[in-house]
Amino acid sequence: MTADFAIGIDLGTTNCVLAYANLTAEKADVQLLDILQLVAPNTIDQKKSLPSFLHLGMSSDAESGTWNLPWEQARTYAVGEVARRQSADLPQRTISAAKSWLCHSKVDRHGAILPWNTPDDVQKLSPVTVSRRYLEHLVAAWKGEFPDSPIADQHVVLTVPASFDASARELTREAALAAGLPESLVLIEEPQAATYAWLDNQGDHWRKQLQAGNQLLVCDVGGGTTDLTLVDVVDEMGELQLRRRAVGDHLLVGGDNMDLTLAFYVSQLFKEQKNIDLDPWQSVSLWHACRAAKEALLAEDGPETFPVAIPGRSSRLIGGTVAVDVNREAVSDLLVNGFFAACQLSDKPTRQRSSGFQELGLPFETETAVTKHLAAFLARNANEGSASAQPSHVLFNGGVFKAAKLKARLLQQMADWFADAPRELDGNRDLDYAVARGAAFYAWNKHNGGIRIRGGAARSYYIGIETAGLAIPGAPRPLSALCVVPHGMEEGSQTDVPGDGIGLVVGERATFRFFSSVVRKDQPGQRLQHWSEDELVETDSMEAELTKTDGMEDDYVPVRFESKINELGIFELWCVHTESDARWKLEFSVRDDADV
Amino acid sequence: MGRIGLALKVLFSGAFAKQVATIGAAPAIAHVPAERKPVEPPKPVRSDAVTLLATLQREARLLDFFKEPIGDYSDAQIGAAVRDVHRMTNDVLDRMFAIQPLLDGVEGSTVNVPGDADAGQYKFTGNVGDRRPDSGELMHHGWRATKCDLPKWTGAGDSALVIAPAEVEVKGS
Repeated sequence: MTADFAIGIDLGTTNCVLAYANLTAEKADVQLLDILQLVAPNTIDQKKSLPSFLHLGMSSDAESGTWNLPWEQARTYAVGEVARRQSADLPQRTISAAKSWLCHSKVDRHGAILPWNTPDDVQKLSPVTVSRRYLEHLVAAWKGEFPDSPIADQHVVLTVPASFDASARELTREAALAAGLPESLVLIEEPQAATYAWLDNQGDHWRKQLQAGNQLLVCDVGGGTTDLTLVDVVDEMGELQLRRRAVGDHLLVGGDNMDLTLAFYVSQLFKEQKNIDLDPWQSVSLWHACRAAKEALLAEDGPETFPVAIPGRSSRLIGGTVAVDVNREAVSDLLVNGFFAACQLSDKPTRQRSSGFQELGLPFETETAVTKHLAAFLARNANEGSASAQPSHVLFNGGVFKAAKLKARLLQQMADWFADAPRELDGNRDLDYAVARGAAFYAWNKHNGGIRIRGGAARSYYIGIETAGLAIPGAPRPLSALCVVPHGMEEGSQTDVPGDGIGLVVGERATFRFFSSVVRKDQPGQRLQHWSEDELVETDSMEAELTKTDGMEDDYVPVRFESKINELGIFELWCVHTESDARWKLEFSVRDDADV
Repeated sequence: MGRIGLALKVLFSGAFAKQVATIGAAPAIAHVPAERKPVEPPKPVRSDAVTLLATLQREARLLDFFKEPIGDYSDAQIGAAVRDVHRMTNDVLDRMFAIQPLLDGVEGSTVNVPGDADAGQYKFTGNVGDRRPDSGELMHHGWRATKCDLPKWTGAGDSALVIAPAEVEVKGS
């Protein structure tokens, strides 16, 4: 069946958005889907975004039909706006930020672990299942609007953070296919999608704003994460092209941290000025009120003060409302010092390693200064003969930058670093929906022709190999890391990793530790004996069952590695027998889905 | 689209307007992408007026605000509460009705009244003779809803008249 639409889906940490464009239209005209969802028990409405929250209902809810949707009856859970609202009232029965867990390799992402740290009598779900449920909802909402254009037949693009490694991408893909998205699904990086949204907005005009030799920094600070990407503008045979040069680490610091910091400060004001201790329910209102205060106070011509009012919970609204005035100067100091502090280009983020037992939770950044992370990112991707990369232009994305002062602060910081101050790209921004819009525009371009950002693999990948040598009882064998995918490896290409064969035992499961790096630029076959903790990051291990085939006499076979990245950006790693045609595909270690 | 078509678009719900707007769009080429088909709304079993009130209470605490006697409160205390109620009520009304001024003219300036304008669009005051006036000073630009998208209620029975449920908190671990 022919595809009618190009579809872009932003599966966000706090909001999901679906954008689409008619493939047969003369020009890409990107629209947002009005997503049908529950906004309160028994109440259905349409919204442009589906909040990424999942509420686990009581067992009696199924019978009363509280969470019914047109496409499903007797549900025991709800996603979207109603779940977001329930998060204040029922924190123990609400799952949020599942996406941040999806790339946290220290936990079993197929394990029923969410909501995190809640009593065992609440049913739990895995991060993969939760992501699947959000996508299933989008698929059903799409079907309601376009019943004659099944989503499985459309050109669908799903966005992931640039900082997602191969394993987190694989898990995202798994959730997407389980939700009914097509096999032809393409994953693209969110900062790139934001860039496509800008390209769509500019039309051919973009060639007037950028020229060969320019460097574009995409600075995407969302609710929960900060995602940095560097794009080079190059001249290829007289045509301007965009080439993604580097992506940053996965940084768990974002707008939510800022709002919470502000909320803590304002709660102190309540205590000092009014002698009021806010209860947990009020704290959630406080959080939302502080976000509004931040956006108002740090806008271009923001007021000197802004009242933060917390309504009473009972029906006595006016009598129960408490309020304090928050000062622009104080808020600006608090957020700038905490998250955008002035620093040197040579500064590195300080990482505190807490000693001893640490509770396993999301690995939030101990260094909250976005400026320092930016300095480290630019230094790590230095231009030749220079101490750092020097962006000429900046594209901001993410709700944080609704506060114009924070944009101005980052631009000022870079003006202090570089002789030529980078400037913000002109054009309208749609900070909330740009990623989904850009993804749909990319999908449309992919089908109909148009500008594409090139880039290849954002990371190099390494297989961990135990070095031969005398075994010392109780001590692990020393490990070396073999580069199997070089940084920048193009989609649709294949690499035979050179080097001596590695011996594996036939009939057994072979498991390899697996590492990625955004720092090192090694060639395939290169073997590292030493590396620092910041250079190589361990992710999920990979494994293969080595079945014995005919003609294989020994139990011990030498293999070499072969890596592939297909046109959809899916990464594959194979073990190839050096003396026969036998080959085995390595898969990320998958544990049984505990909550199905 | 003629005046009547426009009026239909304004007056009827978004779903109906979509259907009206697509009538007559004949397929021109062999492969025509499917038109948007709205989800069949569940059969409403309560008045839309109650749904509207429930939404304004849920999102903006509007009922709490009006039902509370305000005689004993200072203006400052009322002001503190009303800012958020005001902002959120406006958000709800905009989302559901996308309210726009009926006329674009600046209040205080002179406006011309087209001869074929609907009677319901104008209210004439002052020195009005027997014939419908064709111009005057714009005192109030009027308001109109450019859509009407209320949430759909899927509940049943006694709760049809519930505007806000009673909240009961369970204490303990």
